[in-house]
Amino acid sequence: MELTSRTPSGPLAEKWDNHRFANKLVNPANRRKYKIIVVGTGLAGASASATLAEQGYQVHTFCIQDSPRRAHSIAAQGGINAAKNYQNDGDSIHRLFYDTIKGGDFRAREANVYRLAQVSNNIIDQCVAQGVPFAREYGGTLANRSFGGAQVSRTFYARGQTGQQLLLGAYSALSRQIHKGGVKMYPRREMMDLVIVDGRARGIVTRNLINGTLENHTADAVILATGGYGNAYFLSTNAMASNVTASWRAYKQGAGFANPCFVQIHPTCIPVHGDYQSKLTLMSESLRNDGRVWVPLAAGDKRAPSTIPEAERDYFLEKKYPSFGNLVPRDVASRNAKEQCDQGKGVGSTGLAVYLDFGDAIKRDSQETILKKYGNLFQMYEKITAGNPLNEPMMIYPAVHYTMGGLWVDYDLMTTIPGLFALGECNFSDHGANRLGASALMQGLADGYFVISTSIAHYMGTTKLDAVSITDPHFLSIQKNVGDRLHRLLRNSNGSPTGKVTVDEIHKELGKLLWNNCGMARNRQGLEEALEKIPGIRETFWDKVYIPGTGSELNQSLERAGRVADFLEFGEIMVRDALTREESCGCHLREESQTEENEAKRDDANFSHVSVWEYKGDEETPVLHKEPLTFEFVTPSQRSYK
Amino acid sequence: MWFVRFVSSSIGKKVTMALSGLMLLLFLCSHAAGNATIYMSRAVFQGYADELHSHPLIVIVFSTGLFLVFLAHISLGLLLFLQNRQAGASRYTVSTRVVTNSLASETMPYTGLCILLFVLIHVFGFAFGPTGEMISDTVKRLLGHFFYGLFYLVAFAALALHLSHGFWSMLQTFGVNHPRYNKMINKLTYIVPLFFLLLFGGIVLYFMTGRGASF
Amino acid sequence: MSTIDLTLQIWRQKNSDSLGNLQTYTLTGISTDMSFLEMLDVLNEKLTKEGKDPVAFDHDCREGICGMCGSVINGIAHGPEKETTLCQLHMRNFKTGDILVVEPFRSRAFPIRKDLIVDRSAFDRIIQSGGYVSVNTGGTPDGNAIPIPAETAELAMDAAACIGCGACVAACPNGAAMLFTSAKISQLCLLPQGKVERKARALAMVKIMDEEGFGNCSNERECEAVCPKGISIRNIARMNREFIAAALFEG
Repeated sequence: MELTSRTPSGPLAEKWDNHRFANKLVNPANRRKYKIIVVGTGLAGASASATLAEQGYQVHTFCIQDSPRRAHSIAAQGGINAAKNYQNDGDSIHRLFYDTIKGGDFRAREANVYRLAQVSNNIIDQCVAQGVPFAREYGGTLANRSFGGAQVSRTFYARGQTGQQLLLGAYSALSRQIHKGGVKMYPRREMMDLVIVDGRARGIVTRNLINGTLENHTADAVILATGGYGNAYFLSTNAMASNVTASWRAYKQGAGFANPCFVQIHPTCIPVHGDYQSKLTLMSESLRNDGRVWVPLAAGDKRAPSTIPEAERDYFLEKKYPSFGNLVPRDVASRNAKEQCDQGKGVGSTGLAVYLDFGDAIKRDSQETILKKYGNLFQMYEKITAGNPLNEPMMIYPAVHYTMGGLWVDYDLMTTIPGLFALGECNFSDHGANRLGASALMQGLADGYFVISTSIAHYMGTTKLDAVSITDPHFLSIQKNVGDRLHRLLRNSNGSPTGKVTVDEIHKELGKLLWNNCGMARNRQGLEEALEKIPGIRETFWDKVYIPGTGSELNQSLERAGRVADFLEFGEIMVRDALTREESCGCHLREESQTEENEAKRDDANFSHVSVWEYKGDEETPVLHKEPLTFEFVTPSQRSYK
Repeated sequence: MWFVRFVSSSIGKKVTMALSGLMLLLFLCSHAAGNATIYMSRAVFQGYADELHSHPLIVIVFSTGLFLVFLAHISLGLLLFLQNRQAGASRYTVSTRVVTNSLASETMPYTGLCILLFVLIHVFGFAFGPTGEMISDTVKRLLGHFFYGLFYLVAFAALALHLSHGFWSMLQTFGVNHPRYNKMINKLTYIVPLFFLLLFGGIVLYFMTGRGASF
Repeated sequence: MSTIDLTLQIWRQKNSDSLGNLQTYTLTGISTDMSFLEMLDVLNEKLTKEGKDPVAFDHDCREGICGMCGSVINGIAHGPEKETTLCQLHMRNFKTGDILVVEPFRSRAFPIRKDLIVDRSAFDRIIQSGGYVSVNTGGTPDGNAIPIPAETAELAMDAAACIGCGACVAACPNGAAMLFTSAKISQLCLLPQGKVERKARALAMVKIMDEEGFGNCSNERECEAVCPKGISIRNIARMNREFIAAALFEG
C-alpha cells in the first residue's frame, strides 16, 4: 500500500493555492458526462452533492434515513469555528490552524489543517448566504462565543442547534439541485459494498431498506461521507443508525484505514441509568464553566449529595489541576471521572457518574444568571432524568462522542483506492488525535463545499475511464456476495429463537468490552484480552444470532445485524491499532506511557505517524503502514494543565 | 389564470372564506345598526325601514350582492368541510384534541348550517310577509311568538359561536397575528360575538317577554 | 428506580399494500427512567425472543433533533408531554395500568410503509420546490456584509427550528402541512438573503403542498399544540400574507 499524501509544496499559506493551480480541471460542458456517487447526506455529503451538481456533474446521492435532512450532523449543538476575527481579539487563520493542530496533539498533517483554517471563513459566508439564522449582535453583525477552552471568540452559532441549521442549509442547497435534476436522491438506501473495476472505484451496491432489493449503481467516482464509528461501543452520543459499514467495506476492498483507535470521549453526558439504555445524550461542555465536579471522599458513600458536608467532598479536578480546574480538556476530564468511579467513588444508582455542582455558582451569581446561561440545558437534563440541577447537583459521565480515525485520504481526500474519496468524519484527516469543540462542523463543510470539487476535477481530468454497466461481472459478483452475506445472517430465522442471541445482546457485549479495554485509558494487557475475546463474540454472533423476518422486506433487525457484523470485525483493528500505539496521545491515555505525575506522555520519537491498516484477507492479520508526520511550521509541544 | 389558481389553492380558498366572512360581518354590522333603532322607538325604526325601501336600487344591488357572498361563503365552506373530512376524519382509533376551547372551531360547519337555516326562515318571515303589513308589526307579530323567538335565540347563540372562531380565524387567514396585538384580538373574539348576541338577543327578548306588546 | 406495567395497543401493518390492525401487548417492570423508544426497544427484544416480528418504528438521533421518530400516543402526536419528541418522552409520564394506543402519523400524504413507519418524502418535495436561497457554492459576500437585526435573526431561528417530523400533519384534523411549509417560508422571507425569491417561493411551495394531498387549514391550532419545537402558527399567518401578496402582485 502506497501512502502518497500529495501534500503541495511551498509556504504553508500558499499550499492550497498552489495545489488548486496544479490540479487539472474539467471543462464545464464536459462535467455532465461524469457521474459521481455520494453516500451520506450529513454536512459533508449534502454540501458535496450540492456543490458538484452546481458545477454540472451528474450526482447520485444516497442516504440511510427517510430524508437527507436527518443525518446526524443535525445533532451538533455548540457551533462552528472560523478564523474571521470579527471580534478583533487576535484570531487569524494561522491561530486557528495552530489551535487545531495542537488540540489534535500533533497527529495531523500541517497542510490539511492549514487549508481547513483557510476555508473556514468561506463556510460562514456561504451559510449566511443560504439563510442560516446565525445568532446576531444588536447591531446586526454576527455574534461569536468562545468555545471548548479557546482563547478567542471564533465560534459562530445558532442557539444550541448549530448543526441542525448548517445541515438544513446544506440540505436546502441539495434540495435545489434535486429539483433542478442535478442530483438524483436515493433515500432509505444502505450502501452494502463498494465495486472496484480495474483498480478504480466504479460504483456501489445498495440495499433498498423498504423492500430489501439489492441495487447496483455505477459511477466514475464514489464519495463516502458516512460519518464515524462511535457506535462500535454500543452506547455513544451517535445516532442509532450511525455505522462503520461503508468505510469498512471500502477497507475490505483495499482502502487503508487510519488511526482507528482515535476516539473522542466527551466528559459531560447524562449517565447511563439501566441496561435498556439505547444511547447517551451529550450536554454542552460549557456547563463546566460554572459547575464544580466532585465525588464523595469515601468510596461507597451513598448519602444524598446535599447531606455530604464540604469536608467530605473530593473536588478532584480542582485538586489535581489547580490552574485549569474544572476546565481541563475533554480527555483529562473524562479520564479522571472514570478513574474516580473505578475507585468506587462514583455516584448515582449505577455508581457510574460524578457530580457537577452549580450550588456555588448560584450563590455567587444568583439563580437568574445561571438559568440564563444554562436554562435550556437544565431543562433537557430534567426532561431526561427528572432531576433539577438548581436543587441538586447534576450527574455526568463520559461517553463516546466522535471518532478522529477513519479512511486514510491524501490531500485531495482520495483514499488509497483511486476514485474513492472520503469526506467529513469518515476520513481521518484534520483532527489528529483529538478534535476541538466546534471543529467537526467546520471540517464537514470545508470538505464538501470547498475541497472536493477540485479533487474530483483533477481525478476526472487525469483519468481515462471506460464505461461500466450494472451487469458488469464485478458488480454481479459483489452483489452476489452481499446477497450471500444477508442470507448467512438470516439462516437462523427459520428455527425457534430458543438458545439464540439477539443482535443487541451481541452489540452490547462488544460495546462493553471496547469501553472497558479500549476506552479512555488503555494498557497492553487489556487490549490483548480484548483482541482475544472479539473473535469469540463474532463467532457467537454468526452462529447464534436470531433475526426475525426476511431479507425482502423492511427489516430493522437485519439492518442492525449487518452493521453489528461489521463492528465486530472493525473492533479488532481498533484494538490492534491501540495496541501498537504505545504512547498516550490526544484523547487516550496509554497507561504504560505516563509522566511521573500520571499524566499523558506523548512519544514523538516513535509515534509521530499516522497508522494505516491494510486488509489482507479475513484470516490474515492486517498490515500496518505508517505515514510519517513532519512538522515544518510548528514545533510539537507537550500539553500541561497543571 | 392567476385568479382561478389563487382561489383554488388551499390558502386562496381560506382567503375567500375569510373575505366573504368579513363582508358578512360588515353586513351584520349595518343590519345591527338598523335594528338598533328598535331600541329607540317604533317611529324611528319604521322611519329607517321606509327610508331604506324608498331606494329600491340600493336594496336590489345590496341584496343580490349579499346573496352572492352568502353563496360563496356557504358553498366554499361546504367544499372545505367535505375535503377536510375526506383528508382527516376518524383517522385514529383514539383521537384527542389537545387545544382547549376547540368547540367553536370544531363546530364551524354545523353552526354555519344553523345560521343558514335561520337566514332562510328570517328572510321568508320578514321579506315575504303579508303584503301591506308594516315592518314594525311584522317584528312584533313574529317575535312575540314564544317558539319563534326561542328559535331566534338559539340561532343567535350559534351565530355567536360561529363568530368567535370565525373572527379570529379571519384575521389569522389575512395574516394578522402579532404578539403585541394577539391579546386584544383574543378579547375581541369574545367581545364581537357577545355584542351581536346582546344586541339581537335583546330585541327578541323584548318581544318574547311581552314587553314589546305596546311597540 | 420505580417501574410500571403497561398495556400497549400498537398498529401493525406489514407493508403499504396490506391492511393493518391494532395488536395488544403487555409489558411489566418498565423503568420510569426509560424513554418511550427504549420501552419499544424492550418490547422488540421481547418479541424477538418469542420469535415474533418486532415493531418497526423510525428513530435515529434519540435526542429530539433529527425528526425521524414520531407516533400518535392515545390520539396525541408525540404523546402527552408538550414540546417533546417521542424519543424524549419518558415513561414517568405514565402509570401502571395505563393502556397506550400507539398509531402511526396518519395522512393521505404520508403512506404507511410498515407498522409505525410512514413515508414523509412529501415534505422533501415541498422543500425542493423552493425552500432555499438560490446561491451556488462560492462567490458569496462576507457574512457581515448585510446586517440583520438580532430580533429578525431570532424570529427566523424560531421558524428554522422545525425538525420536519410531521407531527403537525398528524395532529391536524384536516391533515394540513401548513405549519411545516410556513416555517420554511417564514425563515426565508424574514432574512434579507431570502427576500429576493420570496414571491416565487411562496407560490411554488404552496402549490406543491396542495398537490401532495395535504389538507386545508381551518385554523384549529392543533399543529402548534403538538409541535415538539414549539413553532407558532404566527408563521402560518406570515405565509398567508406572503402567499396573498405573491398571488396578487407576482410578476
